[in-house]
Amino acid sequence: MRINFWYISSFVISLFVIIPIITVFSSFFDNTSNYFQVLKDTFLMEYIFNSLILLVSVLILTFFIGTGSAYLVSFFNFPFSNFFKWALILSFAVPPYIYAYSLTAFFENYGTAYTILKNLFGEGNYNQIIPKFDGLLGVVLSISFSLYAYVYILARASFLYQSQNIIDLGKNLGFTKFKAFYSIILPAARPAIVAGLSLVAMETLAEFGAVDFFSINTLTTGIYNSWIAFDDLAFANQLSFFLLLFIFALFILENLSRKNAKYHFNTKAGFKQKQKIQLSGKKAFLAFSFCFLVFFLSFLFPLSQMMYWTIKFPENLFDLKILDLLMNTLYLVILSSLLLIIFGLISNYGNRVNKNKTLNILSTLSISGYAIPGVILAVAFITFIAWFDDSVIKNLGFVSIKKVFIGSILGLVLVYFIRFYSLAYNGIKSGYEKINISVDESSYLLGYSKRKTFMNIHIPFLRNSLLFVGILVSLEIIRELPITLILRPFNFETFATTAYISASEDLLEAAAVPSLFLILIATFFIIVTSKYILRDNND
Amino acid sequence: MRKISIITLIFSVIASSLAIANEVNVFNARHYKADSELYSKFTNMTGIKVNLINGKSGALEKRIISEGADSSADLYITADAGRCGAMDAKGALQGGLTSAAIKDAVPKSFRTNKWVGIAKRARIIYYSPERVTGAELSGMTYEGLADPKWKGRLVIRKSSNIYNKSLVASLIKNNGKAATAAWAEGVVANMARTPTGNDRAQIMAVAAGEADIAVANTYYLALMLSGKKGAEQQEAAKKVKAFFPNQNDRGTHMNVSCAALVKGAPNKANAVKLVEFLLTPESQEHFTNNTFEFPMIDGVSPSPLVVNNLGLDFKQDMKTKLASYGKNQAAAVEVMTAAGWK
Repeated sequence: MRINFWYISSFVISLFVIIPIITVFSSFFDNTSNYFQVLKDTFLMEYIFNSLILLVSVLILTFFIGTGSAYLVSFFNFPFSNFFKWALILSFAVPPYIYAYSLTAFFENYGTAYTILKNLFGEGNYNQIIPKFDGLLGVVLSISFSLYAYVYILARASFLYQSQNIIDLGKNLGFTKFKAFYSIILPAARPAIVAGLSLVAMETLAEFGAVDFFSINTLTTGIYNSWIAFDDLAFANQLSFFLLLFIFALFILENLSRKNAKYHFNTKAGFKQKQKIQLSGKKAFLAFSFCFLVFFLSFLFPLSQMMYWTIKFPENLFDLKILDLLMNTLYLVILSSLLLIIFGLISNYGNRVNKNKTLNILSTLSISGYAIPGVILAVAFITFIAWFDDSVIKNLGFVSIKKVFIGSILGLVLVYFIRFYSLAYNGIKSGYEKINISVDESSYLLGYSKRKTFMNIHIPFLRNSLLFVGILVSLEIIRELPITLILRPFNFETFATTAYISASEDLLEAAAVPSLFLILIATFFIIVTSKYILRDNND
Repeated sequence: MRKISIITLIFSVIASSLAIANEVNVFNARHYKADSELYSKFTNMTGIKVNLINGKSGALEKRIISEGADSSADLYITADAGRCGAMDAKGALQGGLTSAAIKDAVPKSFRTNKWVGIAKRARIIYYSPERVTGAELSGMTYEGLADPKWKGRLVIRKSSNIYNKSLVASLIKNNGKAATAAWAEGVVANMARTPTGNDRAQIMAVAAGEADIAVANTYYLALMLSGKKGAEQQEAAKKVKAFFPNQNDRGTHMNVSCAALVKGAPNKANAVKLVEFLLTPESQEHFTNNTFEFPMIDGVSPSPLVVNNLGLDFKQDMKTKLASYGKNQAAAVEVMTAAGWK
């Protein structure tokens, strides 16, 4: 095996991304605990219990919403079914924390629901009859309506690839539609659905904004609090351990299901284009209602609540330096997605040309950054830099590097890099898998160097994958909250941080304007790229 | 090309952090519009630029401590004395807020040499005049919140809330830990619902008939009455009345927004100047009229909304040192958790 540029770059990139994971684990042996054992036991049970309840409820809800709507739009024609096909992914534009603000604004005592009832029916004590969606229920709804789209997109893609043949088979056996769905379509799509659900699960466990807003204690906020408020690294690590157990289980599940998914996707022999069933009458109405309800609850509801507030309290619109926020957001988005794409490419190519086990394991580990909550990554990054500075840099007699990394764009982008590296790496990898290795061999035979093969052959092939990765990463960064909150420089705000800060100060009305802009920009990104997300045609 | 741009980026970051500027770096956990208006005024008057990093107190504190002696932070401004006290306990602050201007302006129990109060708030009881009689409230104290007569009638925030931690810390300071532990159990038994929502949500719960009494800070009612939260909440606020507890003994529990001087502050002199500026009558008036807090200094009157609806003549607890909120914080959390206070 030869050590070359590609090998070293891939190695270094992967190693860099693993640093925070190593930091979390290495501080396992620290013992700074000064907290009471009784409290810890009480909290530990509460954190685990809340995380479990949250996880299970969100998974059930996203499964029903995601697969249900994907099934309807993939197998049937009904009014607006083509509109819903892409409208249902717009929920991605509304991060869970903004959904949480909307829920509270609408349902709280004397909230928007109260105003509507008062305007419709006159004075009355409506507060008693308006349901309250706060606490754990509020978090479950906020996360589910924002993230079900993962399940929807993957389930729909899988449904599309299913051949008419097996559905006909069901018909010939005399299955009802429900039975066909339950015993043929669903099992065939299982790997894709499990992959979607495990993404939902990871995001749920990592969720910070909405959980913090409703002050529910989960493992993630527990780690944050014991680390940050009580300086109790030992307890924080104990919690991290439980959280990582959860995450690794999901990670393995996701990887397994992805492997299985390939078999299903590739059964092209005897593939017969599916016929969509035309629905009419009551059935068409029911299908329409279901999709409309999902679309309304996940997107229109938060959007209109934020718009209503922006109009009701217009002074907030003029208080914000919207152009600054926009430039800051775009600056982060462009810088980070460029870095991620460039290094994701190098690393993928490095792996392709060097079939090396160490490198392979390192790459697999390095993509677990996505599974680690942003809050924890950010704090681990600070801890690592502080340690490195105090014990290495200063001993060598250099000037402190803390300011270069903590509270700077550089540090912020680096941690984004760690967090979203797996999106870039896997996105590019799936593109690479479609380029047959014989293409590389032919290129070498023609006398192309590795670099030339990479630049002139691979990159043009990968153009669509790169665009898709860029958009995914951009969407994530626009919505990203905890890392930006902890690591951003002085006088630097984004739409997400502005919304969060207003909300945490009980100024939800003021959070509406930045939230609205965030939704609009993300919606724009989604609409522009919906055709890549919803690839209808087989490649 | 890529390498060059990364190197330039690194150098520009280093250069900007080393450049000497007439500035003061504020780690700010108070995010009122009124505050940023005051900072601009300060810059206009003195030429000192105020750099802000806004965030939640926990994350800001962690960052200041991790950065240690190299921290760029000069001042840490936050909305609870318990937090300033906790930062002091972690050794992250330094003395120096000792100028005559500061000492003359702020009463002794509301400052240390490392942090000073810049605006006051009281944590009080709100009640529904329809459902709570004057006799029931007569002589009411914080201690009285545990009285079984309030069973199923009380709302208060979660135990993780810093205002509650400081209130309970002050009770521990005055009554001891054992008595406060018993008190917390009584309070939990009286709760009308599992704690949820912010201070304003507690007041609205009383207005909406979910509970008869609520514990919340003073400025929230004024904020609702001001109409800044919309007409509905303005109406709701009129359905509740404020009551100041412990008038016959030590006085009502007071808290402050505080400014703390960070250890290793690169612009210490400017930081002291900013604190002095925040304590001038002009700034204090700006606070009272916009955030509806009580002024820290004598000679400035609270907002008319506060004066007319909450009253001005109440006895403040000037005896319990605010520094004890930070010291008793861990015990307060322990007491509340043990009582099953969510």
